[in-house]
Amino acid sequence: MIWKTAWKNVWRNKVRSLVVIASVTSGVFAAIFSIAFMNGMMAQRVDAALDQEISHIQLTGKGFRLNNDPSVFIPQTEKTIDEISSTEGIASSVSRRIIGGMASTASKSAGVEIIGIDPEAEKRIFTLDKTIMPGTGGYFGDAEAKDPVLIGQDLAKELNIIRFVIDSAVISNLAKKDIPPATLGKLKAFIGTRFANEKKFNKTVSSVLSVKEKKKYFHLIKSEAWSYREGSRLTLTFLDKDNNQVGARFRITGIYDTKNTIFEISSVFVREMDLQKLTGFDKNSVNEIILRIDDIEQTRKITEELRAKLPGVEVMNWKELQPDLAMMTDYVQQIYGILMVIIMAALAFGIVNTMLMVVLERTKELGMLTAIGMNKRKVFSMIMLESVFLSVIGGLAGMFVAWIVILLTARNGINFLQYAEGMEAFGYSAHVYPEIDSTFFIMMTILVILTGILSSVYPALKALKLNPVEAIRTE
Amino acid sequence: MKNYLIAWRNLWRNKRRTLITVASVFFAVFFALIMRSLQLGTYDHMFRNVIESYTGYLQVQNKDFWDTKTIDNVFQHTPELDRILEQDNNVSAVIPRFESFALVSSGTLTKGVLVIGIDPEKEAFLSNIRSKLVRFRLNAENIKSINSELRGKFKADTVLAGRSFSSASSLLLEMGIADKDSADVMPVIRKHASFSNGYIGMGKPGALIGDRLARYLNVSVGDTLVLIGQGYQGTTAAGKYRIDGVVKIPQPDLDNKIVYLPVDACQELYNATGMLTSIVVGVKDNSDEEIDRMIQSLGSAIQPPLRVIGWREMNELMINQMDADSKSGMVMIAILYMVIAFGIFGTVLMMTAERRREFGVLVAVGMQKTKLAAVVSLEMMYIGFMGVLSGAVVALPVIFYGYYHPLRFSGEWGKMYEDYGMEPVMPFLPVDWYFLWQSLVITVIVMIAIIYPVRKIMKMKVVNSLKA
Repeated sequence: MIWKTAWKNVWRNKVRSLVVIASVTSGVFAAIFSIAFMNGMMAQRVDAALDQEISHIQLTGKGFRLNNDPSVFIPQTEKTIDEISSTEGIASSVSRRIIGGMASTASKSAGVEIIGIDPEAEKRIFTLDKTIMPGTGGYFGDAEAKDPVLIGQDLAKELNIIRFVIDSAVISNLAKKDIPPATLGKLKAFIGTRFANEKKFNKTVSSVLSVKEKKKYFHLIKSEAWSYREGSRLTLTFLDKDNNQVGARFRITGIYDTKNTIFEISSVFVREMDLQKLTGFDKNSVNEIILRIDDIEQTRKITEELRAKLPGVEVMNWKELQPDLAMMTDYVQQIYGILMVIIMAALAFGIVNTMLMVVLERTKELGMLTAIGMNKRKVFSMIMLESVFLSVIGGLAGMFVAWIVILLTARNGINFLQYAEGMEAFGYSAHVYPEIDSTFFIMMTILVILTGILSSVYPALKALKLNPVEAIRTE
Repeated sequence: MKNYLIAWRNLWRNKRRTLITVASVFFAVFFALIMRSLQLGTYDHMFRNVIESYTGYLQVQNKDFWDTKTIDNVFQHTPELDRILEQDNNVSAVIPRFESFALVSSGTLTKGVLVIGIDPEKEAFLSNIRSKLVRFRLNAENIKSINSELRGKFKADTVLAGRSFSSASSLLLEMGIADKDSADVMPVIRKHASFSNGYIGMGKPGALIGDRLARYLNVSVGDTLVLIGQGYQGTTAAGKYRIDGVVKIPQPDLDNKIVYLPVDACQELYNATGMLTSIVVGVKDNSDEEIDRMIQSLGSAIQPPLRVIGWREMNELMINQMDADSKSGMVMIAILYMVIAFGIFGTVLMMTAERRREFGVLVAVGMQKTKLAAVVSLEMMYIGFMGVLSGAVVALPVIFYGYYHPLRFSGEWGKMYEDYGMEPVMPFLPVDWYFLWQSLVITVIVMIAIIYPVRKIMKMKVVNSLKA
């Protein structure tokens, strides 16, 4: 009965109720969507780190991590591999040879980590083969190729392997992407220009564009204007097992794009057998074994188990290798927890005001109800329910809208091209696919109900304080 | 009676509602100010860190150097050039630099490093490297002896092992020692954890080395470094330098790879006598207008191939990152304000409905509709301004406290910040334009909310209203 009365009361002043409901709807929607956005960004970062960069668990010889000394090996490789395969919960493993060195082209050079891999085996753990930029070749193509090397997009730009060119093909591709003819006209002046490097391209092209054009189209233009000559070569310089300097020419088989500048600029991949031959280290020596496990929740348990089994090996899991990954996720959750509470508190002000109004304008009616014997608990719960209805209707609507919008945006993601450089420098992709855990909606519902209850307390108490005799007489 | 007086008195006819609406505005403004102050303060701090300790606001370079940082894009340093630069009233210092890369080795360890040739005395105007010399270094052993000597009085956290500090104040802060205890604790720390350093000077080849780099190479003051690299116009650069000091640079990525030499020794190393890669121009007034003016005027005063480059161009990536972060903060504030806007609109709606009859009577007895609309608008403006004012007044002490005592992260958090190349500090930004923005936003919200009652009043049929 009380429920029904409260529900009907909500709709006595439709416009007012709808304003409160709309405020809750928009607040809840905005909060959920922004959390889904950040959450998606974080999840993408974690996935990228696990699938492309570090995987779940890494094994190295003791002391290797200190200076990445290539002559520190995993002792008793075979026994170690046996122990790994006898451990439960490990999906697959792969071994690597790692050497620090220098990558150079005719015009520039950069310090890199040269990683020797077995290209086929790597696919079991990492998805690097799926990040090759179209038009740059492939992932270690055929087995016959001589000395192939896979490098990152940012290193390719740094070493001027990826160059920037504007020609008529670029212009016609841009025309298809809804770039206005006026902007294209400005670009036509550059037809045939080869820019010496990325910075020069940025500066020259953006100098002819207006601020608005630059903001809207520059990144589209940039994503069209790069060019790469397949089969370019790269010289890798490093020290062999006797500390003699070795310089070898490698042919670039493809360019990967992981949206993480630091990784891209510092990691180059070659075949382990090529690197082994050039350095002269023992064929069976291994610097690093990387494991992927079945269930990420088991990370800790498996790490401990391996540590106990392999005392001579350094075992590190992803949380220890990149503590910021796990911390970032926690941190963002905390920040958003706080944000939710702030938004809910702001909503509560609106609800309190409305409910207070409700109590004041129904003074006479409430007095009458008490006078004919409605007990105080019932009056209190009637007002509280009305307030909860307001917040819950708004909350549900907000959650529904948020759910739809998340579904829609998650399909193609939201792309903040103009911030790509800044975000990728921290390892985050600027192309974000919002995602959210379904348990979050349950939490949100609880929070919404709580807001409704808390903001009704003051007005409901006010109602209880009414003196029935006086209340009936008010006009 | 004057409109503003009527409006003011009307407000207090329903005290509770007025106060709740003011409180909601107060709440939004308070949080928005705190959030914004923290965000802007952090950016400001980062900019200062990078600009004032490294790039400076302006540099003179060879026109190709910024795009292609090779040793061949240098320029001849002439007294004439210094004279031209010093003529500008806003120039506080002219600081020569020679930047290049080299491989550094010590024993069997080798690493690619950034070699920066500086004028050790002039550099005091900008990066003040002398103040960054490591003065205390904690390790597992000296923490143990400090703790055993201070038994009971103070206990240093073993997490701090491996950290270096360039001043007693940062050490005290990081170790969580209160000012009043420092007199007891400092002598003990000084005894066990002091680190003695020299400094470099023109005319005597010696090197300063980043703290992290020193630990990587396992070297300290008195050891010798070998630098090998490519010199000017294809020559080979090689030299041996005694380490005179260890410096702690706040940015870890720089700390990991930096070697300072006196600029003359550096020129000799790279076979580029009298050449520089850049001149940092120290400025007195760092406002945007002044910097832009100097880029123009100095740019035309110097001869090609030289050019003047500003801090914006030198820090594009950082500006991009901060821009993205700033936008996300603005979205949060926008959500908050949107919710508050609904609250204000709700209040306006209720007030209009509740006072329909009153409005009718007032117009019936001869009050002009425009005057009535003005009074109602003023009421809402008062609410908005009271909210903004109280929000600002309460936020101010918090902001000023945070400005003088910035939030400082330690432990894992601090380490994570450092891993990203940031100093683990979040200061607040004192009063600035963002204060004005909040009041502007609230004003706009109120303005929009006012439209509803004003329309209602203007279209009011007095007879119907009287019956309400």
